[in-house]
Amino acid sequence: MPPSIHPVDLITALRHKHLTPAIVFLTSRRACDEAMEAFDHADAVLPPVRQEAIGAALERVITQYPSIAEHPLIPIVQRIGVAAHHAGHLPSWKIAIEELMRQGHLDAVFATTTLAAGVDFPARTVVITQSSIRKSRDFTDLTIGEVQQVAGRAGRRGKDHVGFAVITPSPYIELNVLTKGLTGHPEAIDSQFTISYPMVLNLLKAHPHEHIQGILAKSFAQFQLNQRAELIQRKLDQVQTQLEPFGPRVCTDWITQWQTFDQVRKRHPSRHPAHRSESPEIVARLAFLTPGRVVGLSKGRGIVLRQYRSKGQKNSMLTMLRPDGAITECPVTSVREVYDRTYDCAEIPSYPWCSTESFDQLSEQLEDLPPRLPILPILTAPSVEPLPDAVVQSLGDFPCPTCSSRPACQKDFPTASRLRQEQHRHMKSIQALRTSLWHRFQERVDVLQTFGYLTSTAQLTADGEWARLIRIDHSLLITELIRAEAFTGADPSLLAGIMASLAHDDDRPGAFPRISPGLSSLLRQVRKLAESLSPHEDPPLLRADVAALAERWIAEPTLTWIGLCRLTTMAEGDIYRLLARTIEFLSQVQTLKATHPGLADSAAEALALIRRGVLEELP
Amino acid sequence: MTTDELEQLLARQPVALLHRLARGRVHRHFRAGKRRLIELLLQHSSQNRAGLESDLQALLEVRQSRPEPGGRPTHTPTPSTRKQLPAQAPIPAVMEPAISLTSWLEGIGVPTPQPFVPDPWQLEALSAVGETDVVISVPTGSGKTYVAVEAARRAMEDNRTVIYTSPLKALSNTKYAEFSRLFGSEKVGILTGDRQENGQAPLLIMTTEILRNLLYDAASGEIDVRLDTLGLVILDESQYLADPERGVVWEETIIFCPSQARLLLLSASIGNPQDIADWLTSIRPTTCRLVRHSKRTVPLRAGYLHPNGKLTPLFRTLGIPYGHPSQLHPEAKRLFSEYEEETLPAGRPRR
Ligand SMILES: Nc1ncnc2c1ncn2[C@@H]1O[C@H](COP(=O)(O)OP(=O)(O)OP(=O)(O)O)[C@@H](O)[C@H]1O
Ligand SMILES: [Mg+2]
Repeated sequence: MPPSIHPVDLITALRHKHLTPAIVFLTSRRACDEAMEAFDHADAVLPPVRQEAIGAALERVITQYPSIAEHPLIPIVQRIGVAAHHAGHLPSWKIAIEELMRQGHLDAVFATTTLAAGVDFPARTVVITQSSIRKSRDFTDLTIGEVQQVAGRAGRRGKDHVGFAVITPSPYIELNVLTKGLTGHPEAIDSQFTISYPMVLNLLKAHPHEHIQGILAKSFAQFQLNQRAELIQRKLDQVQTQLEPFGPRVCTDWITQWQTFDQVRKRHPSRHPAHRSESPEIVARLAFLTPGRVVGLSKGRGIVLRQYRSKGQKNSMLTMLRPDGAITECPVTSVREVYDRTYDCAEIPSYPWCSTESFDQLSEQLEDLPPRLPILPILTAPSVEPLPDAVVQSLGDFPCPTCSSRPACQKDFPTASRLRQEQHRHMKSIQALRTSLWHRFQERVDVLQTFGYLTSTAQLTADGEWARLIRIDHSLLITELIRAEAFTGADPSLLAGIMASLAHDDDRPGAFPRISPGLSSLLRQVRKLAESLSPHEDPPLLRADVAALAERWIAEPTLTWIGLCRLTTMAEGDIYRLLARTIEFLSQVQTLKATHPGLADSAAEALALIRRGVLEELP
Repeated sequence: MTTDELEQLLARQPVALLHRLARGRVHRHFRAGKRRLIELLLQHSSQNRAGLESDLQALLEVRQSRPEPGGRPTHTPTPSTRKQLPAQAPIPAVMEPAISLTSWLEGIGVPTPQPFVPDPWQLEALSAVGETDVVISVPTGSGKTYVAVEAARRAMEDNRTVIYTSPLKALSNTKYAEFSRLFGSEKVGILTGDRQENGQAPLLIMTTEILRNLLYDAASGEIDVRLDTLGLVILDESQYLADPERGVVWEETIIFCPSQARLLLLSASIGNPQDIADWLTSIRPTTCRLVRHSKRTVPLRAGYLHPNGKLTPLFRTLGIPYGHPSQLHPEAKRLFSEYEEETLPAGRPRR
């Protein structure tokens, strides 16, 4: 048995059962082209009337789009009434086929699944031969939504009583993916929000920095993050109710206290890795110097906001909130007293290390502290091989053994400690969900500040003012190139060549037309810069062959479309897309008239030259 | 496992198993001979060797748990492999006999022309879009364009500008032609990166990216009269919100859409249209109305066509048995397992 049905047999079978017109979805452009070749000598020809009707309809389309007049598929389309329609074709060809299909002239169109995405192109029958599609590099199973989008093309309103989705096997088929897809409920869609450099610049151009968080909060991304945060909040509420019986006892934070006591009792070494350079006393304190803890310093008090170690520093460091709202850094060693008092502190991973509400609350709480605070006794974990004696000894330093609450604490500790951990975990997740977009924004701001597009107060610099107009992929690379004056004096063809190599993100192989020395050296410069920017922006493919192709099209105004296509092995649809994308990129450069008149002129000139022949046919 | 070891292990396997392994990994693997297939497998898996190895191990285990394929032909799958079928959806208590091909094919044809009567959901959407934002999520081919056209007509009669966006230039061009026919070409314009055709017309067509850029320009003070009089923004194919690369553009457009303009989101069936509507309600001045249904206007039937040209219904039922993926037609089931057995003769476990 053949691995899949022969295209001619397929069409014959569909015709026989009156299942035409049909769209046959195939895995690749190649498969579509081969299907068309299969009809070369087929005798499945249409009656003359229909052939004439197709011819007449084609004539009408050709007057509008002369580029398809010589299309090699026309004879088969006319003789058999089948056509191929995929991304390798010119848009004008695809329009022609869509038009023929809408008018009911064709029996079948062989297409790739890209067609399923939103092109107005219905038929009576849809034939499905695959259950996976190529996404970027890999084949992935079709989602339920995709299967329904594909199958949904079947059955034209007003032209069909019923639509048919026919599955025919090929080596690329898993039947259950398709049956699930046909019978299932489409997947929920998830936000794909990302924060790009141009987004940051444009937001900061129009809004003060402090409003941005509120704007990001309007995204669907944040809406969905909030939904997740609310789920966790509900769990957190439960944990907090469960924690109620374990509130303050003799010491407020008896859970942490007991944790340490318990560790020592069991002779487990402290969970904090002992830092050789730090004395055991200090190491023991580290467990308590967590965000929200009140401590006494040589001058006044403070609340710990974070604990960290930075390279080259002997001691662990603390970021402290001091009275008057000051934030200071100090080594752990400068802490005189650790008080038995902690406050809630919603941590965030960047300055000022806690949320704004927390910051305000903590500042107030710090002001309102009573003059006397209970000091937290801290047991020093033995630093070297702990001797049983030392343990016994140390237990004496702990208030717990003599504390009246000890039996209760001992009994409750396992539950309380588990709940406490859960509570912290939930709080951390909620915090992260609520603030992650803002942090991503801040990261972008940092980069833009480093490069000088934003001032230290997050306002647009002179460069930022024009850079915000470049709102395409690889915007950082493009604006950096402009600042490095890479395009100064470059003629339109060079500019177009570079823009083409930036715009083209397809890795299908192509041939290599002769590239000018100027473009080649400029491309080298672009590559170097792209590489140096790679920590901040994914580098584009920067293919020399597509750059050269665009350069030729601009530099040689007499070059015909056919001539251009002959220079490369790329399909004409791909060349068209390359140039159309180049137009998009150039038109962004063209908007820099006010600040870079020379460059904008060059872009305008390139645009005027690129728009000819096929590229003139559509807006 | 080193590359050499893996290669030797692969070389010891029957080619059918290699094909099984190549599914979803190697494009057109069916065409490759054994040597080439191994080469392609290794090449493809250079990034994810562990995945290949673990799949290979899994296949080997399945093979070992099977009887030696010496005593063939055994066309029916063994009970142990049958268990690997996906979880069965609850089967209706009374199993009706499977549909026949004749009844499945019945009713093909062209309906007699009917006067155009808008569907209730279309009217519901239209009456809502005068006052609030509207999200429409209905199956492909239901008639979302009618709502877009009528809503645009009404907004224009009110002397308001309408912007219609689509994700693809190709679709923009189709709609440009269609709307020009409907409203007259002087009423419709199209905007691309470098061109404007009739850019001051009351109904403007563009890709969503172009609209996003217009909105950014407006936010930073560049005045655009078209945005001042903007009354309606139609975002077609809004399920693009989920597109990994471009979805963000739909979010930006919706966030910055002027508050005086109504938003009309047209989307194919998606799983969570209510979330989209709730989101709009949370950020926009009006409560967003959701118009949804999942019933196809033209009923759909599914069939199975065997490579030898034999056609059969795919499911036992005439229509598609929603929620019951395993209600396969016995004939389709038989033909498909025959296909699997014959194209990949040995060792190919059924999923
Ligand atoms: N109420 C109606 N009665 C009859 N036919 C209708 C009705 N509404 C729309 N149609 C027709 O249905 C067909 C499909 O409509 P349309 O292209 O608007 O679908 P759609 O929902 O946009 O689908 P897609 O998901 O493919 O974009 C059109 O030919 C249209 O004329
Ligand atoms: Mg539509």
